[in-house]
Amino acid sequence: MPSYRSFALGKLAALAPKYLPFADVATKDVPLKRLLRLSLFQVTVGMALVLLVGTLNRVMIVELNVPASLVAIMLALPLIFAPLRTLIGFKSDVHVSALGLRRVPYIWKGTLYQFGGFAIMPFALLALSGFGEAADGPKWVGYSSAAVAFLLVGAGVHMVQTVGLALATDLVEEEDQPKVVGLMYVMLLLGMVVSALVYGALLENYSPGRLVQVIQGSAVATVALNLFALWKQEARDRVRARQMEQAKPVKFRDAMRHLLDNPGMMQLLIVIGLGTFGFGMADVLLEPYGGQALGFSVAETTKLTALLATGTLIGFGIASRVLGQGGAPMSMALLGAGIGIPGFGAIILSSLGGGAVMFLAGTLATGLGAGLFGHATLTATMRAARRDGIGLALGAWGAVQATAAGLGVALAGIVRDVILAMPSEVGQTAHAPYNVVFMIEIFFLMLAIAAIFSLSKASQGLSLRKAAQRTPNPDDIPKINPVEVS
Amino acid sequence: MADDENRVWPTGLTLREAEEVHSYLIDGTRVFGAIALLAHLLVAFTTPWLG
Repeated sequence: MPSYRSFALGKLAALAPKYLPFADVATKDVPLKRLLRLSLFQVTVGMALVLLVGTLNRVMIVELNVPASLVAIMLALPLIFAPLRTLIGFKSDVHVSALGLRRVPYIWKGTLYQFGGFAIMPFALLALSGFGEAADGPKWVGYSSAAVAFLLVGAGVHMVQTVGLALATDLVEEEDQPKVVGLMYVMLLLGMVVSALVYGALLENYSPGRLVQVIQGSAVATVALNLFALWKQEARDRVRARQMEQAKPVKFRDAMRHLLDNPGMMQLLIVIGLGTFGFGMADVLLEPYGGQALGFSVAETTKLTALLATGTLIGFGIASRVLGQGGAPMSMALLGAGIGIPGFGAIILSSLGGGAVMFLAGTLATGLGAGLFGHATLTATMRAARRDGIGLALGAWGAVQATAAGLGVALAGIVRDVILAMPSEVGQTAHAPYNVVFMIEIFFLMLAIAAIFSLSKASQGLSLRKAAQRTPNPDDIPKINPVEVS
Repeated sequence: MADDENRVWPTGLTLREAEEVHSYLIDGTRVFGAIALLAHLLVAFTTPWLG
């Protein structure tokens, strides 16, 4: 199945690059095919995310009868490593290798961890649920092995995504970066959607044996896809190897201070955190909200997620196009957050008499907003990074983004459960707890908008100054129009 | 044997490059081995065989 998937993807890429969005990403040096191949690492990241947050979440609670709180704790474990993304990114920037490699060794290590986590995960979960003889064994075996499995997968995902994005940024010219960001995001989404469908179909008739097959199958698929993605991406380079050897070792703290010295960098990270938190809280709640508050069936709520993803895709497309033509990332992020607020408003109103149409419109709008916001903030991070500090900058982006998204998902569930457990009249209606969460999201998006305004005030023309620093031509980047190149 | 650091051997690699390639192989083998061991222990824990 997975090999068929990558085969189909490859065919798709070969068949009609001109019909694909982001096709104009290819430069003479880096053809689109190679970038598409590289972006397969995002598919494995999406696969791991879906497996952890979606599929296993349900399987552990429903089929394995693990207490929901324990499941939540286990699934939150990978979050511990999210801040370490900064360190991983930095390490890949200053990596010393006789082969002149910087990114590939780290992506490979991350792949190993991902594989390892998946390889032991099914048995760890069975031990955790007291399957077979494990029921009589000591409890700590299940706890510790499941924790190790989730930590390994989490660490692997963080490494692969951070360093993979850095490699993608290395490969293309600055004016093409918005399109690479779009491509990477689309592949992440694609990986998530496809693997959610595949996992759903494969686990429909659950059995312990099937669980082992599915999770270990994803382990093999992860290694295969990542190997294929990495093949011949980073050139062996003796000149660079010599430079690496002679380079003065930089301290992490100095590099970090240097990064945050960039005008507006700190505010940018705050904006990313607030906005991602705001959008991220909705992901897990839309389906149960549709089911409980609006009476959607399971099949219909699954389509909701598809609708959300469609909105996000459109957002990526628009952001890629506009930013590729030289638009300012921050105004795009502002637009994204601005669309998200009425989106959540519509979702709240739908349970207060607005009806299903309002709900669907709201879902599409939030997806669109999240797409615009995510793309714009990642592009802004890439632009703000110096050429030799891309790993660190993307690590900082990933640390903030992954932490905020993970906290959002966790908090959304907690807030909902707390309100459900409250005996007051607030908890009486099915939609009330969800609406409280959606209100919180609106609040955070408003905070993000406020932060964007303070960012643009604090550093007037951030992108212009950055552009002048890095490019020999002091003219601002917007004048270059890479879309024409295609 | 390896007097010249920069000598390129018939493999197309210098000694240090070859050592680095080798280190990836060794690391990979170690990680895969540890994972396999752990996985087998867990399987034996849930569904013991030979026993």
